[in-house]
Amino acid sequence: MHDITVVDLSRWQFALTALYHFLFVPLTLGLSFMLAAMETVYVTTGKQIYKDIVQFWGKLFLINFALGVATGLTMEFEFGTNWSFYSSFVGDIFGAPLAIEGLMAFFLEATFIGMMAFGWERMRRGQHLAVTYMVAFGSNLSALWILIANSFMQTPQGAHFNPVTMRMELGSLSQLIFSHDAQAKFVHTSIAGYVTGAIFVAGISAWYMLRNRHMELAKRSFRMAVLFGVLSTAGVITLGDALGFVGGQAQPTKLAAMEGLWKSEAAPMPFNLVAFPSQQDQVNHGQLQVPYALSLLVTHSLDGTVPGVDQLEQQAAARIRNGIPAVEALQTLSSKPGDADALAQFHAHEKDLGYGFLVQRYAQDVSKATDAQIGTAARDTIPQVAPIFWSFRAMVAMGLAMLAYFVLAVIFSLRNRIERQRWFLKLAVWMIPVPFLACETGWLVAELGRQPWTVYELLPTWMSASTHSVGYMIFSLVGFVGLYTVFIIAEMYLMVRAIRQGPQPHDDDAGWDGDPVLGNSASGGRLAGQAEG
Amino acid sequence: MKTFLLFVLFMLIALIVIVLAVILGDSGAWYFAWLVGTGMIVLITAAGGAMLDTQEEQAALLKADAQAGARHG
Repeated sequence: MHDITVVDLSRWQFALTALYHFLFVPLTLGLSFMLAAMETVYVTTGKQIYKDIVQFWGKLFLINFALGVATGLTMEFEFGTNWSFYSSFVGDIFGAPLAIEGLMAFFLEATFIGMMAFGWERMRRGQHLAVTYMVAFGSNLSALWILIANSFMQTPQGAHFNPVTMRMELGSLSQLIFSHDAQAKFVHTSIAGYVTGAIFVAGISAWYMLRNRHMELAKRSFRMAVLFGVLSTAGVITLGDALGFVGGQAQPTKLAAMEGLWKSEAAPMPFNLVAFPSQQDQVNHGQLQVPYALSLLVTHSLDGTVPGVDQLEQQAAARIRNGIPAVEALQTLSSKPGDADALAQFHAHEKDLGYGFLVQRYAQDVSKATDAQIGTAARDTIPQVAPIFWSFRAMVAMGLAMLAYFVLAVIFSLRNRIERQRWFLKLAVWMIPVPFLACETGWLVAELGRQPWTVYELLPTWMSASTHSVGYMIFSLVGFVGLYTVFIIAEMYLMVRAIRQGPQPHDDDAGWDGDPVLGNSASGGRLAGQAEG
Repeated sequence: MKTFLLFVLFMLIALIVIVLAVILGDSGAWYFAWLVGTGMIVLITAAGGAMLDTQEEQAALLKADAQAGARHG
């Protein structure tokens, strides 16, 4: 029997490391393609200013990338150290995309990033641009494989449980890769990274403009960032809806938690704009509703409904009862692998095996599970509603705020008078943390909403952890917090120093911080001649 | 006022685009959409940078014309 304190500490450790790692990931995903866009302009126009822009933002990208890698590596080891039963149970499936991520995407990214950083003088422009694109694709493909693995935890597809080997086996790689959840989640996450990169670049550019420093770099960076951002934000919102639609069908308990939906209701269902959910009483206090909106949002029709917590708990209780014979059959098969009766019993009940495991937390001998124990296990299938409910609303509110911000920024920038809007430049600087918070709250919705499962409806979290001692878990948790605090201080120090320094000046740049249009470009020379004439 | 009206117009366009995308793509071919969409975003971003250069060149020309006019006038 697992010590639940150890399970909770393992969850805290993974959550903290994942949330911390996820501060770096979105910026890497977004900045990489922004660098590609900036370098595309450099290659097509030949203007030195764009090379300076790419090199400056590239330096910040490298700082972020290095710390992102350092924090990501530890998480892969945590699966083995803290979640050993999980790793053994689904390692055949979960390990495949992680291995592909390491061998294909990360190696691609890591190889080309060196060439991107040190290859400016060793490659022709076009070659360097190709390298930058490879880094961008590598970064995003890396995220793709991680999210495919994560999607298996959310909506397991393409695998089956083998009662002889006692673990999950991969049946269809294409089902795993092309699951609707994986597709929507990857694009939603990747483009959320684009938004993060855009707000980061726009914010720092605004900071420069407020101080009248590096104006030409800042104006160009700001223009490109806001165009990149406005298109990406529209994409994020669209994919957020798609993810909610897919997830709502596949994970009704998560959807019920996101919407604070305690009781099933007839269509058209209202949307809880504001509410204070009580898990204990299974009611919402002080709720403010928008009529019809929930049916429209989650089913895309006015006559669609989704089950509430009351209905979901009843379904879970029935599935637990159906899963108990599957667990009993597994216990027989573990000592007599060839027992035909046990195998037949297992196959008759295997779709609810995970639900059978749920009640084992309260009744070691599942055949003697009482109605009260089954009821408690059924209640466990509903994740903690309040943090999911509010994380979801915070994420959506920040997403809409970012859309409004980018639309206004595009208007100011396209009129080429952004530097006069000082109030907006100040706002742009304050906007920098917003996409990071939105990404974190989105991740909380995804992962807290999956509880009480590590693999949805297959493997409960309480069974998945390793059997460490509480002391070991506290020691390693404190160690991680300490180490990562050092990392964040290092990251902030390096970033702030690089931003304060700004781009490196160079001798051959006639237009640097003066007039880059009249600088060393062909059109600049022409213009200079015209002006003199 | 003009800025506000433009803001409202652009927000409406953005919302219409999002609603259309939502209606058309409940469970669409999102990997493909990502590939095409990323390409579009990168190209439009690059075009935005090049457009700023043109605007700056135009402004510099106007400024030069104005200065020349002032000298001759």
